[in-house]
Amino acid sequence: MSCKRARNLFGRTWDDEVTQAEREWLEGHFVSCAACRAEYEGLARTMELVSSMPREESPADFVERTVARARRAATEPDRVPGISHRWIPITAAAALLAVLGGSAIQWAGLSTAPEQRSTTQAAAIQQPTWVGPAPGTTPAAPSSGTDEQLVAGAATVPDSVFNHGDDVEFILDPVTLRKGRAHTTIRGTDAPRGQQATITF
Amino acid sequence: MGRVAEGDERAFTELVRRFQGRVINLVSRVLNDREVSDDLAQEVFVRVYVHRRNYRRGSKFSTWLFTIAANLAKNEIRRRVRRRNWFSLDALQEMVNDSAIQLADPKEGQDVELQRAQLKQAIGKAIAAVPEKYRIALVLRDLEGFPYEEIGEMLKIPGGTVRSRINRARGILKRKLQPLLRKEGL
Repeated sequence: MSCKRARNLFGRTWDDEVTQAEREWLEGHFVSCAACRAEYEGLARTMELVSSMPREESPADFVERTVARARRAATEPDRVPGISHRWIPITAAAALLAVLGGSAIQWAGLSTAPEQRSTTQAAAIQQPTWVGPAPGTTPAAPSSGTDEQLVAGAATVPDSVFNHGDDVEFILDPVTLRKGRAHTTIRGTDAPRGQQATITF
Repeated sequence: MGRVAEGDERAFTELVRRFQGRVINLVSRVLNDREVSDDLAQEVFVRVYVHRRNYRRGSKFSTWLFTIAANLAKNEIRRRVRRRNWFSLDALQEMVNDSAIQLADPKEGQDVELQRAQLKQAIGKAIAAVPEKYRIALVLRDLEGFPYEEIGEMLKIPGGTVRSRINRARGILKRKLQPLLRKEGL
């Protein structure tokens, strides 16, 4: 117990932050405990060695070079670093995944029949707030069943049963989005038709 | 610093002149790499100049300056650790070196300067072997002599945490330097 107390005082003793009473107690402990005394002496020798390290000297032209560099940096329009090199592979992988994902979605869309495609697209984009079953329809409740069931159910429900009061409109030119819906706006007639975007959330 | 904030280049030059030694010393002790330290110390002052308008008047300039220095040193250590993990052979070599911190056998008539340089190198290596979060606190306290409260402000940690980190760093350093102390009969 007293050894633990002694060792807890080592750091503060080296920093000369102990009270007179604590110092006297520690010195008394060292008389009776050779292990603690050796431990503290080891610490003190280490710290003396570390403190004796000569200070590094500045290069002769350090000030001039630093001021010149600071001047250059201050006149640069943007010192915010660009994408760091370590993000390059991650960004490339993400871009590749996005391209592959987009291609897969497009391929899946093209491989279905036109009627099916329109149903699937409608299902994919209609995931708005559920406000309850409309008269004459019995869709699955949102909390029960899987996402596929929910989407399938939602596809059969007319859009009027959904509450669009909380819809938020985002404008991401050239794609105009509404919560629960996605519209594509293609400006001009020469715009490539293949760049239609469907965003679901 | 008030004049620097207003864009006074002469005041900035004076500021660099006044603090260059301490900043270079801090960075080079934390990194144990003199060549990189000069460049990093320059970057510390560049950041001070570029972000001079962010300096809060009334706060202690040295705290702000050494916060920037500690952060840049920390980033550099982390960058090196990532690189070292990548090149595992380097890591292995460093581990071998770290586990054998001791002086080469002094030959008869060996230059005292050489021994001193070896001693300095061994201590530098021992400090560099202390884990980063303890090392920066240790250098700020035991080599730069900052009070615990100020170190806490620089590292954005409570004073008690600063104390425990420094105590731990001292213990690690003592273990690392034990063979050297025995050999030197210190």
